[in-house]
Amino acid sequence: MTFSGELPVGEVLTDAGLVPVNLSSENGEATFDAFVPLWRQRLRIFLQNKLAIASVAYLVFVVLLCFVGPLIWHTNQTDQAQALLAPQNGPPSAHDLLGTDSSGYDELGRIMFGGEYSLTLGMLAGVITIVIGTLYGMVSGFLGGLVDTFLMRLLDAFLSIPVLFLLLTLVTIFQRTTVNLIAVIGVIGWFGNARIIRGDALLIKQLDYSQAARAMGAGRWHIIRRHVFPNSVSNIVTVATFAVADAILFLTTLGYLGLGIPLPATDWGTMLNNASQYLANGYWWQLYPLAVIFILVIVAITYIGEALRDAFEVRLLER
Amino acid sequence: MIAYLIRRLIQSFVVFVIVMFFTFILPYFETGGILAPAYIALQNHASPSAVHQWGVTHDIFKPFYVRFWDYFSGVVFHFNLGYSWRQTSSVWGIIKTFVPRTIWIALASLVLSVIIALPLGILQASKRNTAFDYSVTNVLFVLYGVPAFLLSLLMITWFSIDSIHLPPVPNGSSSLAIFYDPKAFLLPVAALTLLNLAFLSRFMRSAVLDVLVQDYIRTARAKGCSQMRVLFRHSFRNALGPIIIILGLFLPGLFGGALIIEEVFNYEGIGYQTVQAATYLDIPLVLGITLLTTIMTLAGNLIADIMLGVVNPRVRVEGRK
Repeated sequence: MTFSGELPVGEVLTDAGLVPVNLSSENGEATFDAFVPLWRQRLRIFLQNKLAIASVAYLVFVVLLCFVGPLIWHTNQTDQAQALLAPQNGPPSAHDLLGTDSSGYDELGRIMFGGEYSLTLGMLAGVITIVIGTLYGMVSGFLGGLVDTFLMRLLDAFLSIPVLFLLLTLVTIFQRTTVNLIAVIGVIGWFGNARIIRGDALLIKQLDYSQAARAMGAGRWHIIRRHVFPNSVSNIVTVATFAVADAILFLTTLGYLGLGIPLPATDWGTMLNNASQYLANGYWWQLYPLAVIFILVIVAITYIGEALRDAFEVRLLER
Repeated sequence: MIAYLIRRLIQSFVVFVIVMFFTFILPYFETGGILAPAYIALQNHASPSAVHQWGVTHDIFKPFYVRFWDYFSGVVFHFNLGYSWRQTSSVWGIIKTFVPRTIWIALASLVLSVIIALPLGILQASKRNTAFDYSVTNVLFVLYGVPAFLLSLLMITWFSIDSIHLPPVPNGSSSLAIFYDPKAFLLPVAALTLLNLAFLSRFMRSAVLDVLVQDYIRTARAKGCSQMRVLFRHSFRNALGPIIIILGLFLPGLFGGALIIEEVFNYEGIGYQTVQAATYLDIPLVLGITLLTTIMTLAGNLIADIMLGVVNPRVRVEGRK
């Protein structure tokens, strides 16, 4: 909303709240746009960020590549018998656009296939971390007192174990099925999130509207559900973005250590591990295309997270 | 101050015990049960009686609380971390041998990354929202997105195989090998430094930014201080607080980073031992190393808080509520 001069004179009460009416004063200085809903202002700030839009476009491209690509571009992704007959470590050709890997699978096909696992697992694990983190943080911050002290000391304990150590131990202890990998990455990722969201809950429960609700006799659960949670959604969304990036990174690191998804399935980390066995042989097509795709995925998600953070930043809103 | 210190130490001890409890209970959930490590230690085709015998020798069959108490009292009262299930050495012996090897790499890269990140953060903050700021931020973003192992792999490909031909594997059995053959450590230290840098400089920038908007900076400028003096005398000292906290929190992260770097560069430090121990279910060693890093984390936090008091007198008396 742009206005120069005095405060808006005419307002109409609609479902969306108080809406200033389009006015034009005599000297033509004071002009009012129609009321812009909050989410649209935020969307506008987000869309102003060119890098963020490029990141979204890139992520859409990668998702399409991994999930729709195999339906259009038929290559040998999983057929072991066929792979045995194919050239191993073959350079890029018309048949195999990005060459073949050490087992004879088509590299491009494997990138799509591994991407399906890496992206899906990362996404799901990220969601788990955010759900646990939110619940833990909300309960701790909102209830406060002894519960808060206890939960936070517990969190301190979790936070003081290096994540990678915990990850390694858990992954070797449990069998490496898809479900277990998601669960393990989900379970170790939420500590930091819980702390951020607890801070939010602590802040919001002291604000006037929460206090007012409490004065009117609202129960704890009601205040959490109707006031604390909706008002920390912005932070949760931002944190969730980074959580997904972290989850994909963890999964890939595990894959590199040889603890990724077992054969015949694969993920990007396992593929990078395979590529690393042949560094000195100069099979560049096994390393670089995947490395670039992967790094850009993480960078894109991080950019989107930063842009979201900016979009939710109240100080930047045009009010 | 003394009371504060004692309270903090007690708190740290409680956290330490919780960590010990959780890591101790974990093997009970192993796929294949608590005896799973026996099959790895005795190879896959061990007879049931051999497995049982192994369990008896390693006190597996005692009830949980007895085992936990034995371990707890061993660690706390006798400083005994037990014996490795795979190597013929005590856990403490392994830690004593391999931790120094890691520490030199971690320390070198920490010092290097702070030396680079500090001025970079100050410069970025003073030139914020300029092309310089954006380009540095973007480069660091990309670095942040590169997982440790990939960065190391790329460095090995470029600087060891394709050109320059730096040695990719820092060898030498001495823990002081880094001083005898610094060239061999160039790649791993550089890789770890870049990784730390990506993490640290973001905090440096925002820490300095927070200071630059303060009134005393405006006053300093008003009385005619040069830009250099404002940045390096007035802002720097006041930005130190948050930076120290970050560094304190960063200590264990350094170990985590070294874990991957050591694995890629095939350098036998504590990180390498951790991967081995976890892969082959050498539970006592995993436990020992986890406890060690926990202590380091807690110590890092505590030292950061005390240092904070040294740098900023205002927080010295208050402690925490």
